Parts: sequence; C-alpha cells; structure tokens
Amino acid sequence: MSDLAIRALHLAKEYKIGEAQHNTLRDQFMAGVKSLFKRSEEKRRKDRFWALHDVSFDIKKGEMVGIIGHNGAGKSTLLKILSRITEPTHGRAEIHGRVGSLLEVGTGFHFELTGRENVYLYGAILGMTKAEIDRKFKKIVEFSEIEQFLDTAVKHYSSGMYVRLAFAVAAHLDPEILLIDEVLSVGDLAFQRKCMEQARSLRESGSTVIVVSHNMFSIKAMCDRVIYLSHGKVLADGPPGEVISLYEKDILGGAGELDTPHWAQARLGSDPTQRVVVITDMQILNEGGERRTVFNFGERGRVRIKYELRQSIKNLNFVVALIRSDGVACCNYSSELDGFKIRVKPGDGAFEVLIPAIKLVADLYSVHVMVWDDKFQQLYGAQIGGSFHVRHELFNSHFGVYHESAEWFSPNTDQVGTAERSPIKVETH
Amino acid sequence: MGKESGLERVLVVSATTLKSIPEAPLPPVLKAKTLPTVVVQASKGWLRPDFRAIWDYRELLYFLVWRDVKVRYKQTAIGAAWAICQPLLTMMIFAVIFGRFAKIPSNNVPYPIFALAGLLPWTYFSQSITRSGGSLVADANLIRRIYFPRLIIPASAVVAPLVDLALSFLILLVMMAWYRVVPDWAVLTLPLFICLAVCAALGVSLWLSALNVRYRDVGHAIPFLVQFWMYASPIAYPLSLIPRRWHVLYSLNPMVAVVEGFRWGLLGKGSPELEAILTGTVVALVLLLSGLVFFKRMERSFADIV
Repeated sequence: MSDLAIRALHLAKEYKIGEAQHNTLRDQFMAGVKSLFKRSEEKRRKDRFWALHDVSFDIKKGEMVGIIGHNGAGKSTLLKILSRITEPTHGRAEIHGRVGSLLEVGTGFHFELTGRENVYLYGAILGMTKAEIDRKFKKIVEFSEIEQFLDTAVKHYSSGMYVRLAFAVAAHLDPEILLIDEVLSVGDLAFQRKCMEQARSLRESGSTVIVVSHNMFSIKAMCDRVIYLSHGKVLADGPPGEVISLYEKDILGGAGELDTPHWAQARLGSDPTQRVVVITDMQILNEGGERRTVFNFGERGRVRIKYELRQSIKNLNFVVALIRSDGVACCNYSSELDGFKIRVKPGDGAFEVLIPAIKLVADLYSVHVMVWDDKFQQLYGAQIGGSFHVRHELFNSHFGVYHESAEWFSPNTDQVGTAERSPIKVETH
Repeated sequence: MGKESGLERVLVVSATTLKSIPEAPLPPVLKAKTLPTVVVQASKGWLRPDFRAIWDYRELLYFLVWRDVKVRYKQTAIGAAWAICQPLLTMMIFAVIFGRFAKIPSNNVPYPIFALAGLLPWTYFSQSITRSGGSLVADANLIRRIYFPRLIIPASAVVAPLVDLALSFLILLVMMAWYRVVPDWAVLTLPLFICLAVCAALGVSLWLSALNVRYRDVGHAIPFLVQFWMYASPIAYPLSLIPRRWHVLYSLNPMVAVVEGFRWGLLGKGSPELEAILTGTVVALVLLLSGLVFFKRMERSFADIV
C-alpha cells in the first residue's frame, strides 16, 4: 500500500465571472444575441479567470500541511476540489481515504431544530452513520460544553454556542484526511486550544490534515509543511519557517502589485494605469521606519505612499483604510478630514501617514489606499497596498473590532482600588 | 465560559496554546482497512448516476426527510393537521362546485370519496414537485460547502410528502367507512400505484430542481405548472369524461395512470383502464431515467453556479 494520501496533478479550475453567469433564460438569450455582435475570443478571456492553474503536489499519510496565500490565491478552490464539492476544469486529484471537510462549520444546521437533533443532522451531512453518531454522542456533547442547552432550538443559541456544537460534531468525524478552512479561529482561546488538540490527536492517529489559514502563528505551530499559493499557482512548498518567511517577504515587498479592490472595479476598471491617480508604491513601516508585517497591539505604524498624478485635480483626498481579513473596514484615515492638503499638480508625489497606536484585535489587516474628492463623492483611485498582522495573546475578533481599556467606578467608595489582581498588561513595544 | 473568571482561564491557556504542541510521534500504521481511492477530475459526456454513492449516503436521505417532516409544521398552531386539512378542504370545494353544481359524474361512488381518492395522490405529487423544485437552491449552502450525492436533496423532498400522504390516508379511510365503501382485492395493487406516483414525482423533480439551479425561471413557473397539471389530470372528473380518441394523448400524463389506478384499487369499481395505466407507467419510467441522467450531467456545476 502506498503511503500517499493525496496526489494532485496539474489541477486547474476556470470560473466564469460577472456577466458570464446567466441565471435566467432571458439573460442567456440576451447574451447569445450580444455575442453575435462582439469579438467573442476577447470577451471569453475577459469573462473567465483561472482560480487554479496547474497545481501539483503529493501529500503523504500523516502529514499536516498548511496552505497559505493572498486573498483570491485559490486556496479555497483547492479545498473545494479536494473535497469533491466542485470538479477541476483540467487535471486530476487522487484521494486515498475517507475525507472530512470543514469548509465552514455549521452549514447544515437547522435553526428550528434542537441542539440534539442538529448533532444528528449535521453528523449525517458530514457523512457519519447514525450508529456512529450514537456512539460518539456523549463525547461530542462533552466537547461542546453546552449540555444544558441540548434540547433548546438552535435559533436561541448564541453564535459561540452554535459554533462550539458544530465544531464538536465535525471534530469527531474521524476522517483519514481532514480539510480545514479557517475554522480554527472560532471560539475563545480555550476552545481554540481544544480544537488544535483535536487536530493533533487526529494526526497522531495517522490522519492527514490540510489547513487553510491566514493565521501564520497557528500554521507555524501546527504544520510540518506549507504550500504557498499565489494567483492559482504553487509558489513555494516546503518547511513552514521558510515558506512563511517567503510569504511575509512578498507581503512586505507588495510583490510589485497594488491590486484594485473588488468593489472599486466597477467604478474604476481593473487596470490602475488607466486612471488619473496611480499608487505606484506603498510601504508599511513601524514608527522607526523599518518595514514590518507584524505589529504588536498598541504599536504605531507608518504608511509611506508614492503616487503619480496624471491630471491636475482640485481637492484631492487620500484615504488609508485598514480592512480586516473578513472584509470588515476597521478604520479610515483621510487627508481631508485630518486637514492635510496634498499637492495637486500632475507628476510624482509622495506622503507618509503616521497612524495612531493600533488598538485593533489580533488578525490580518490589509491596507487600502483610496483617492476621493473632498466630499467622498468622486472616486479617483483605489488600490490594495499590502497587509500586516496584529499580534496579541488575548484580543481576537471575539473581543470586538478594537480594544481599549475603560475606567471602572463603583458607588460603593470603599471598593475602589481594591482590585484583586492587576489589570491585564497591554504589551507596547 | 464557566463559572470561574473567564478571562483568567483564557489567559492561562493562551500562554501555552502555541508552545504546548510537542513533536508528533510517527503515525501508527493505519489499520489494514481498504481505503477507498477517489479520483477527482473533470467528467465528460453523459454519465450514469452513481447509485453506489447514493446507497452509501442513504442515512443522509433519512435525516433530510426527517428534518423536512420535523421542521414543516414547527411553529404552527394545528401542526400536522395541515397535512389533512389541505386535501380535505379542497375536496369540500370540489364536492360543492363540481359534484353539486356542475353535476360531474363520479363512477357511481359518492362524489366526495371520488374526489378525495384522486386528491390524495395528486396532493402528494404537487407537494413533491413544489418542494423539490426549489430544494437545491434552498440548500445552496450545503452544496457549496459539503460533498454528498446531490440527488439526495430532491429525493428527500419527494420522500417527505409521503408522510403527509399517510396521514391524509387515515381521513380517507374514515370517509370510506362513513359512506360504507368497502375495497375488494384490488386494494392490494395500491402500493404499486404509490410507487408509480413516487417514480413520476422523482422524475419530474430531478428535471425541475436541476434546471432551477441554472434558470431560476423554473421556480416561477412551477405554481402555474402544478395548476395546469391538476386540470390535465382526472381529479375533479373521471377519465370517462374524456372522449375515447383522446385517451392515448391524455394518458401521456403519468398522473392519469396514478389517479385512475389509485381510485380503482381503493374504490374497486369497474375494470382498470389498463391502456392508460401502461402508457403512464412507461412515461413515468422515461421521465425518471432521463431525469437521473440529466441531473447527473448538471450536478457537476451545481457548486459553482447555485
């Protein structure tokens, strides 16, 4: 018996985007009529894109492999193919063993059913038999820590409870190959630790685990091999330390590309060089001016931007926005609002933004630069300049978007100042 | 978080979280169990449905049916009584309009019984195609994120209304006792006609649900289709009302066979319309087989376009 768990050979996946999707007969008909009048080959190229492009690798039994890459690099598409949700356009993957995939925990839960009922339903959806669920039921409930709500409809659950129960079911799937997409970021740290332990014990029992994550710390801690995908291709494949530092170097260098965010493409087109303002370079630095990809919570940072202006525009308003990895816009720094005037003559220009102490919770943030007019009406440019991690041991997205200490008072004056323990110290380097 | 201070617990854990993972021991040799090897690649041409995979996932079918049945009457005041009310109320309307006013003949059985015996298989059929038509789109989240044979989803929507059928069947039995209608040996053929109804419903559902993933028009067309189909089936009126020379064309509708067979088996009056039943059976099987093949062909793109 070979010791191979997965062999991927020249996997490729092409998607249609935008207009090429036709959901009603009328759309289909109109597209047919339109294509009579258009050069079809050019249109075909525009409407399609390759999410994966000639991806090959072997994964041995018992390996724990992390898959990293920028947004849209093809990580999720790869997992979808390996878990048989979608077919590749070209190439093939051989999968030896029972696959369990956790592409999003809890899909398949029904809100009207109780926790107990959902354990069975979700278990069956993930591919367990009833006998198997019966056998593991006690362990699942113990793992989830929500025994007392087992007979409550899931619609009354908090999102934390919901995720715990879903993950508890999924964690007891006992697959030979486990595919995980970002689920390790669920729940509080204590629960996360349990999940990691579960993944580790799965691996100890000989299972193969493949994790997609933005969290370089957990990838580094868990995996013995990392595959770095970029634009649908394998850019690097090897020991975590090396591959992750390559990835971080790419983020640092911006990899020479300042992509246009998806939402802005409709207004600006996807090619930045066609616009009146082009961001030509962007660097993320610490307060002292060194390039950084990781900031400790509470540190200040600098964003250094070079741009090219093709026309003279009045009232230029540069905006630097921090966008969390799940797409939440966390804050905006605007030159207009901060009263900073930017030179409006055509030509090259540069400026630097010193951002206040970062109080955002630990996560991956990308830095977007937008150019508006002073009324935020006309958009001249929008590009993604790079990203950075915020590091903190406690504050993650379950603590909110940002964290700031408050002052606490009690009407009972003799209690003031008798805190039993000192407040949590926030590291500021 | 437990009763103790949540924050403290988390803090203690956090310090050890990343560092506590020791070197993993070499994986033990896997149990000498044959591991199924799956090849994932682009499928081409027309394919046979993978009955093996469907059989492997039969318990999922059971759980999805169970989910449908459980959830259907949640948060309703009268619950499962709705399953009985729907055909019963329709029967009353029919009895007044078609039986009393229009004086439509009913093969020498009381009209209410005649109508209800037709309405039961019809309600099952219409429920099946209405529910399964949108089923794939309703479960889009599952399709996008978890692998299982997609056929299970419309299949569960065709199986679940059988529970309603069984419930409303009780009412029919009560009515038959009231009108003193006693079935003869022909009642033994009833399961066959129920099977035929399931085949026809599944065949139509496979076509409609797969088409609906691509063209949402189908979802809008289904209510109209169901209404039209009801008038094209001998539910409010007997088959004998249709002129003889139209019979072959008329019985291309498989529900003609189902309804006629159901009535004959239950009420046992006259001889069965063998010709119509045979035609309907053939059409139902053709629908089912073509539906299976069509569904399989469409299935591969579901996750990308749903």
